[in-house]
Amino acid sequence: MLIMKNISKVFQTADIQTHALRDFNLTVNEGDFVSVTGPSGSGKTTFLNIAGLLETYTSGEFTLDGENIGQLNDNGRSRMRNHKIGFIFQSFNLIPDLNLFDNVDVPLRYRGFNAKERKRRIEENLERVGLASRMKHLPSQLSGGQQQRVAIARALATDPRFLLADEPTGNLDSEMAQSVMSLLEDINKQGTTIVMVTHDAQLAQRSPRTIQVMDGRVSELNLHLATDNQQAIA
Amino acid sequence: MLETGLIIRALMRNKIGALLIALQIALTMTIIVNAIFMIQDRQSQMLRVSGVDEENTFYLTNTIFGQDYNIQAALQTDLNTLRKMPGVVDAIQINAIPLSGGGWSSGVQTEAGEDKDSIGTAIYMVDDHAINTLGLELIAGENFSATDIQWRKSGQSTWPDKVIVTKALALSLFPDDWQSALGKTVFISQNQTIQIIGILKQLQAPWNGWDGVERSMLVPFQMESKGSRLFIRTEPGKRDQLMPLVEKTLAENDKGRIIGRLRSMEETRERSYQRHNATNKILTTVVITLTIITGFGIVGLAIFSINRRTKQIGTRRALGATRWQIMRYFMVENLLISVVGILIGCVGAVSLNMWLVKTFNLAPINIELILFGVTTLLIVGQLAVLYPARKASLISPATATRTV
Ligand SMILES: Nc1ncnc2c1ncn2[C@@H]1O[C@H](COP(=O)(O)OP(=O)(O)O)[C@@H](O)[C@H]1O
Ligand SMILES: [Mg+2]
Repeated sequence: MLIMKNISKVFQTADIQTHALRDFNLTVNEGDFVSVTGPSGSGKTTFLNIAGLLETYTSGEFTLDGENIGQLNDNGRSRMRNHKIGFIFQSFNLIPDLNLFDNVDVPLRYRGFNAKERKRRIEENLERVGLASRMKHLPSQLSGGQQQRVAIARALATDPRFLLADEPTGNLDSEMAQSVMSLLEDINKQGTTIVMVTHDAQLAQRSPRTIQVMDGRVSELNLHLATDNQQAIA
Repeated sequence: MLETGLIIRALMRNKIGALLIALQIALTMTIIVNAIFMIQDRQSQMLRVSGVDEENTFYLTNTIFGQDYNIQAALQTDLNTLRKMPGVVDAIQINAIPLSGGGWSSGVQTEAGEDKDSIGTAIYMVDDHAINTLGLELIAGENFSATDIQWRKSGQSTWPDKVIVTKALALSLFPDDWQSALGKTVFISQNQTIQIIGILKQLQAPWNGWDGVERSMLVPFQMESKGSRLFIRTEPGKRDQLMPLVEKTLAENDKGRIIGRLRSMEETRERSYQRHNATNKILTTVVITLTIITGFGIVGLAIFSINRRTKQIGTRRALGATRWQIMRYFMVENLLISVVGILIGCVGAVSLNMWLVKTFNLAPINIELILFGVTTLLIVGQLAVLYPARKASLISPATATRTV
């Protein structure tokens, strides 16, 4: 469960202050699938980075899975990222020098699993995204959609409670985007809480809950629409 | 959990840079190990003692120009004067100075005849005061007596019948037992007999680069010649004040000759090893410079590869790597590159040494030196990569989402 209360984030550069988030309030419940939309520069990535402990916030209160994030040091945040959070990036962020097997292995190594356990998890998750047969391939030998699937396998391999995705379909054509979205929906159904930033309104509508970020604030909760949608799908 | 396997596989996909640095490390290893070896070799040569009391001895030249000059009487007067001077321990006439670079040598053999092997030795022509004046240690037999001393005319080819030899010469002549040399009669100038009456612990020849530098022989001769050297030993600490005094006294006592070129044994040693010292300084500079350049090479490659992998490092952080795990990645990576370089370097160092041994007759390298090279380069590598690795560890995890 994610609770943000009055979170603000100020970027201080030489002479300008950018208020990327102001009085940002949001609660995400266990098992939610939340889409985050909003215009470019509104603070979506900043929100996601703070939610994923990639960035610290300037003020406010943030609790993730019962843990007061403000009290964690860098090592504590690293550990929490490794144990509880899975990240999916717009440009996949696979390590180009490593094959798929080794790419999925990276967070498992940081976790300290033994070789047998790592192998089991790597194979299981590559299987899950349908790429088990290409374990020895390098990322550059895959299509964008396939690369994003590997990134999802990598994010899932540590069994995170939260999956955070920043424009996961931003670099994909619509067919691939749909299939990645379906994969995320599957994952969510199996219990992983997902927060996904997207500027694709159609994709956003497929998720049960959508929030819009405007000028660093949560401007609109779109629960009804989402509920309607779900009914329509059902 | 070390990610060595992943690091190796990632390295294999970026071989060129790593290989160039590994080769640089190998070359550095090859050169520094051999350079240090050569430095040590020279240093150990310089550390050899000459056997002479170098601190308290000096010498001068005595050049006679007067006509109808009684050389024998004048020498006796000079030696008497010197030996009576307060602060002077003893004085002799001598034909050559240890370590000076110029002197006399001859061949000595245990069997007479042109076809028999002879052993080269330095010849010092001195009287019975030599052992005391030079500060030598007689470890067997006895000194010359005053009656053993003969006058030698210039150009004379016969030898006196008693000699004192160094232990090293005794050992060369009688390899089984140097002590057995005492009392033995051996041959000089192929067939003239000489008897060994004493054995010295040590007295170096005038030539420090000669492999027989420890082989010397005292011959009881006083030279009747117009140019000669006087060698003086003083009481400890009095050499510097006595040198000008001796020069003045000798010059004033006898105006028929010129006293000149006063030089202490310490200065002689310094001049003797001037080249050694200069070469060692150059080699030391090479060793230090090369090590620093290699260190900077490592820093450069690490910074380059870290800048190239900024996003990847951010991603690793996002996936849960701690700062220390990022630092360790680059330190382990450097260690792997260093180990490859050092292994090649070991082969290189030994090969270069084998060539040096063959070409310049040096001794083979010792394992300690190789280990020293290995340790030094490992430490240099880790120190060099420390700053870049620290920089990498400070890359923000947000880099993962903020860079395209
Ligand atoms: N590291 C940074 N330094 C300064 N300003 C930043 C930084 N990161 C983001 N910003 C600013 O914060 C605001 C929000 O950015 P971001 O969260 O990336 O928006 P979005 O993801 O919605 O496009 C923007 O005005 C952006 O320029
Ligand atoms: Mg963004």
